[in-house]
Amino acid sequence: MYRYILRRSVSGLLLILAVSLATFFLMFAGGDPATRMAGESGSVADIIRIREAYGFDRPIIMQYLSWLGGFLTGDLGRSLYFDLPVSSILVERMFTTMRLGACAILLAVAIGVPLGVAAGCHPNTKIDRFALLFAVVGQAMPTFWFALLLVIAFSVTFPILPSSGLDSWKHYIMPMVVLSYFAAPAIMRLTRSGMIGVLDTDYIRTARAMGIVPRKVLMKYALRNALIPVVSLAAAQFGYMLAGSVVVESVFAIHGAGRLAWESILRSDLPVIQALVLCFSLFYIVLTFLADVVNAWLDPRMRIS
Amino acid sequence: MSTADTLLDVRGLRVDIPTPNGMLHAVRGIDFDLKRGETLCLVGESGCGKSLTAMALMGLLPRKALRTADRLEFQGNDILSLPEKAFNRLRGNRMAMIFQEPMTSLNPALTIGQQLVDVHRQHRNVSTKEARERALFLFEKIGVSAPVERLKQYPHELSGGLRQRMMIAMALMCGPQLLLADEPTTALDVTIQAELLRVLRNLQEEFGMGMILITHDLGVVSRMADKVAVMYAGEIVERGDVYQVFNRPSHPYTRGLLECLPIPGRHKHMAHLPSIPGVVPSLIGDLTGCAFRERCQYAEDRCGEADIDWRQLPDGQGYQCILPASSDGVASEVSR
Repeated sequence: MYRYILRRSVSGLLLILAVSLATFFLMFAGGDPATRMAGESGSVADIIRIREAYGFDRPIIMQYLSWLGGFLTGDLGRSLYFDLPVSSILVERMFTTMRLGACAILLAVAIGVPLGVAAGCHPNTKIDRFALLFAVVGQAMPTFWFALLLVIAFSVTFPILPSSGLDSWKHYIMPMVVLSYFAAPAIMRLTRSGMIGVLDTDYIRTARAMGIVPRKVLMKYALRNALIPVVSLAAAQFGYMLAGSVVVESVFAIHGAGRLAWESILRSDLPVIQALVLCFSLFYIVLTFLADVVNAWLDPRMRIS
Repeated sequence: MSTADTLLDVRGLRVDIPTPNGMLHAVRGIDFDLKRGETLCLVGESGCGKSLTAMALMGLLPRKALRTADRLEFQGNDILSLPEKAFNRLRGNRMAMIFQEPMTSLNPALTIGQQLVDVHRQHRNVSTKEARERALFLFEKIGVSAPVERLKQYPHELSGGLRQRMMIAMALMCGPQLLLADEPTTALDVTIQAELLRVLRNLQEEFGMGMILITHDLGVVSRMADKVAVMYAGEIVERGDVYQVFNRPSHPYTRGLLECLPIPGRHKHMAHLPSIPGVVPSLIGDLTGCAFRERCQYAEDRCGEADIDWRQLPDGQGYQCILPASSDGVASEVSR
């Protein structure tokens, strides 16, 4: 198990390095950065001055290493738009989005897994049909529309929840519900199909033939195996929630990383975009790493491969 | 009929499975009994209902399958109408079962030790330590190398033969009176097969278990059985002491099965092995008369007109056919 974690960490670090390289070259994706920063009215002298000020005249490999070194020490460069250090803008935004995402994914798992288990244990019954309806509605409804419906219902018609901002726990409820209802159907479906598959296996028949009580067969012998793919899915969806939270953050006027990314793209604020891409990637890599570790704990066969 | 020694008493056991094309009568009213310490082999080709019979005895039939019987008694107690909770206290405890597929029958996510301990602690008020000691005791009986390490291993780390030994150990954790073994050696190679059969035989004698061994391999029957029941299309067509049935097979199907055994000397090298021509009839809907008549060389008109009476011979052998009981050695005559 420890050897697996070690091996998996090494491959994770290599991946981070690869992502950092790709992100770094984003800077040059739109042509010479100094020319672009000088703008249309910039003279040749301006461009040269910018080039020297930002170090664009150094060899590429030196630029990469100093950028990476800065990133490791928390210096993410300066935002072109705000003229502030990127880190001062980014950290708070990232935390806002991560906090919301974490709450939402926990809620999605808390709803999706039990519902999937119930549906998988009783396929083609009322509970199964209800779960299916829940999933179809959740997957079919556009996120922004569901968000607006909630605002109309709970902020306008019955004004019990605030419609914008993230100042108190009440502010979290609606964005959290919207984000988790987007993620829960897939989790529910995968748990359901996993459960149906596992309950049909020879080893569950064995557990029953040995007189293990049904509750234990379900919770210990079946669920553990059925959850293996669900863990990977939940991790992927958590990552997706961070990057894809733009819509929800816009509707509820939340100053999060998703919105910042969208705005920075519109403003061509490259240092911020660069830092955001790298942060999202890092977070995603850490998530899949954690998911793999949990899976290796659930399924010993994964520890060797 | 039923005495203090009787472990299992089965009369008129039926298993019916609803299908879109009608009711499938998988097991069509079979009778047999089993005494303590005795081995009964259920023999027949695939789909004849022998596995479903075992699952019916264990109360493990698929949800939509229907089990009925005139009598179904285990140690003198009715288990036909036993509530599921009470039945669950028998399973793995007083009756246990091992399966054909050792590769998939153990939980891949739990260690061997966890699975064995769970079974013991489910039925006995023992500590984990005591349960592990019981497992190690059984490992020694079963002939498991490096027993202490095995408890910490996962099924995927073990060979097929070892996994089947773990299944046997799991089934014996609570010292059952009845062991059902559904083709326990079919998936294993021959040398391991012989070894495992010897282990089963020894354990059965030592613990005085009754055993129902399901197989299609007559070689296994000759080595293990006290009694044989030959099944065809959901019915028992012949039943009796293993020596009687092997020496004096009276149902044409039993004779056919024995004919299909390759015996050096009787069959020319590389020659075609004899087989029983034709296919098993569909088990959906009602069958009148003898189910084997389409494939039987002795079939007459009356075989299909009414159900065939069971012929009970004085020495305990019985069969379901209009033919008179064959005299000893008739099998070799038929072969010519």
